[in-house]
Amino acid sequence: MTAGQLRLTVNGTAVELADVPAPERLLDTLRWRMKLKGTKEGCRTGDCGACTVLVDGRTCLSCLTLAHEVDGTSVTTIEVGPEDALVGRVRAAFEAAGALQCGYCTPGFVMAIAGLLRERGTGAPREELLEGLGGNLCRCTGYTAIVRAVDALRTETP
Amino acid sequence: MTAAVRPDAGLKLAGAAVFGTDLDVPGMLWAAFVPAPVAHGRIRSLDLRAARALPGVTVIGPDDLAGLVGPGERDSERTLFAEGEIVYRNQPLAVVAAPSLSEARAAVAAVKVEVDPLPIVSDLEQVFPEWPGSDADASPLIAAHVRARHGNVDVEFRKADRVVSETYRTASVHQVALEPHACVAEIRGDIWFVRTTTQSPFGVREDASSLLGWPESSIVVEGTWVGGGFGGKGACFLEPYALLLARATGRPVRLALTYSEEFRLGRTTLPAVVRMETAVTAGQIRARRVRLLLDVGTSLPGRDFATGYSIGFLLGPYRTEAFEVEGYAVRTHKPPFGPHRAPFAPQCAFVVESHLDHVARELNLDPEEFRARHHWREGDTTPLGQKVGPFGLASAFERARSTAREWRAEAPPGHGVGIGCGFWSTSTGAGGEVRLRLGPQRLVVLQGEREIGSGSVLAGLTAVAARTSGLPPERISIEYGNTAEAPFDSGVYGSRTLGALGRAIEEAVTALRRTLAQRLGARGQAELSIERDEIYAEAGERRAALVVLLTPEEDAAGGILAEGRHFAPPRTIDEKRVLSGSFYPYTDFTGAAHVAEVSVDPATGAVRVERYAAFQDAGTVVDRGSAQAQVEGGVAMGLGTALTEEAIWSDEGRLVNDGLLDYRIPTLDEIPPIAVEFIEGFAGAGPFGAKGLGEPPIVPVPATVAIATRAACGAHVTELPLSAERVARALKLL
Repeated sequence: MTAGQLRLTVNGTAVELADVPAPERLLDTLRWRMKLKGTKEGCRTGDCGACTVLVDGRTCLSCLTLAHEVDGTSVTTIEVGPEDALVGRVRAAFEAAGALQCGYCTPGFVMAIAGLLRERGTGAPREELLEGLGGNLCRCTGYTAIVRAVDALRTETP
Repeated sequence: MTAAVRPDAGLKLAGAAVFGTDLDVPGMLWAAFVPAPVAHGRIRSLDLRAARALPGVTVIGPDDLAGLVGPGERDSERTLFAEGEIVYRNQPLAVVAAPSLSEARAAVAAVKVEVDPLPIVSDLEQVFPEWPGSDADASPLIAAHVRARHGNVDVEFRKADRVVSETYRTASVHQVALEPHACVAEIRGDIWFVRTTTQSPFGVREDASSLLGWPESSIVVEGTWVGGGFGGKGACFLEPYALLLARATGRPVRLALTYSEEFRLGRTTLPAVVRMETAVTAGQIRARRVRLLLDVGTSLPGRDFATGYSIGFLLGPYRTEAFEVEGYAVRTHKPPFGPHRAPFAPQCAFVVESHLDHVARELNLDPEEFRARHHWREGDTTPLGQKVGPFGLASAFERARSTAREWRAEAPPGHGVGIGCGFWSTSTGAGGEVRLRLGPQRLVVLQGEREIGSGSVLAGLTAVAARTSGLPPERISIEYGNTAEAPFDSGVYGSRTLGALGRAIEEAVTALRRTLAQRLGARGQAELSIERDEIYAEAGERRAALVVLLTPEEDAAGGILAEGRHFAPPRTIDEKRVLSGSFYPYTDFTGAAHVAEVSVDPATGAVRVERYAAFQDAGTVVDRGSAQAQVEGGVAMGLGTALTEEAIWSDEGRLVNDGLLDYRIPTLDEIPPIAVEFIEGFAGAGPFGAKGLGEPPIVPVPATVAIATRAACGAHVTELPLSAERVARALKLL
């Protein structure tokens, strides 16, 4: 394997990338190299959560992660298809609760919630789940509808 | 009407909505600004040679404009680059484009600029430690001076039982739309084409034209999905620079701000100082004196709308026999003042509500009773002499008082419950137009605004078109067209979209239904309905499928066409009361009363909002889902203004907290339960009597939190935000 080469799985598809510079952030690899623009760029300093993706099922701020750090992993972004049932359920809960307005924070929230539920389960204490979302900022909704979506996900049987 | 699923939910949840930051064109160059290194100074030299020598780099500085701009008259006051004198830190000195962002940044770093620093005006009270004197108008620091007066103010103050005077200070707050400004420009033949994240494609076209000297007909602006606006994306900003670079390089050019640039260059609400004096006799407000010093940064003289508009919010919504107001817009070395959701009205409501609460306490009157007694009601005259139209404030306040009574009965020790009021008016802007096409299957609305998130375009206009046509919402399509395709509209701002474009849709649908009635040989308007998947029209005794009522031309065009437009209803103030400057009438009167229960940490002064209720005058609710979402989101944003948000400018004119870690907006775990109740029946100027709801819900929030905080711990805080430090100081803990 040559320098700058990367092998990873993105949304279930094996991907090989060449000539990826060492300082390149996963966010930029996804957005500009792979043209997966669903993952959003907000602050690039890890404060807003808009760039949240899943790496091997765990939430990850792609703006603070180097692409080479995720070599060999499986990355899930908002573009993932219906084969990811958990992301599908979060999407459906967002739609039903009206948990989005401008939609810029939405991909990050969906992935953060999916990651939390995968890690802690829908039976996790409500406070714990809500605290786990404190790093995702939303300026439109006042979070109330997002919390309604989380509550619906907690009560529904998986 | 029931809440429906947002029309844009599926696209946004799939990550498929293309925002301004997502624009990506093959062969595109990346651009960056060369920022001014000081807030005020004279440019001794700007050496762009080293930057230009870098491979693939193009630089445009002030001296390059002559070869790029058009033959038209250009705005002489508003320049694209600092020319000679720098007036705010990070002001663009030049702009570069390169094959990658890192190469663009390297080119920026290669620019050599020599500056002779000049003294900086960073703070209002540094300029005017005392109130501006009679010679202030001549000062270049005064961008606007507005004055109005009515009644025997001096007499009322002289014979008053009691005069209460206070000074309030409010902080600079930023919009914090999560998507930074971004655009991609291309030259397509003779057309200067720019795609951008904007609240006003036509506004961008107009400004780009006057900045570039090219006619509007040669500029096409296409809006993208907008990742939040809140006023911050209402004006032309990056687009002319990207267009010039596209022209100079012959390539598409992407210009986007980093988030710290978003803070440092953003046009937003700046600090203010307000002095309030109230004369009370026999429990009645007899006269008021209001004085405002508003920091407008480097706003241009005479172009400041904020001061005169703000004064109205400092006077209302309370009956006042006699008044005197004086406001100064003060220029400092910061970026120009810009709109932030209900510009400066939450700050005004904080001052008015806190002050009148304080006045009542000083007079041993019930503060809520005192405010209720003076609230404007329909038929009253505002201090500036406008007749108050249908206004739901008194009803909202009554509901708020009943909730506050319940909460007080339940509140544990250390908690406080307070009510704050606010008012706002729907803006009409410079008009709005739509084009409709009614085909055999669908009603299509073509218009020129992108959905910025509030739902006003996609959910609101769909609901209006459905209700006026009688067709179900799933038969309505709201289509967007760029400035070359769509009819004119002035923008998604001022809570105006539903009112302006909604009324335009009403007019166009009425025209369609009249035409169909004529074709059916009847008078009046045809009724539309769906049968066997087809649109039918019925009038008089006749009924026919739409498809058989179309002319061959209409059939070829996909349906019958109609246009509608809305212009502002005439509204006036009594100009005799205006002594200088511009004051503005209201299109309609939107009231709100909010209730908060807060707890205050007795050791630190930290305020926590435990629960919240909003009673919102809405005229008529058109789309309940998006209406409720506007109130919830507005309250949350207002909690930031109330408690944590404060852009701090140093003495050197530097924005100290230019990131989301240090500029704190509310997070998910800080938002209390928010109950929303609409007060309907007080008609506004919009369709079916609707009032715009984008801005009104934020207005009462800081006031409500401040009054609840005083109720909880006795702290009378006269500055925003109510940070733990300020509350602790008021409690003498510090």
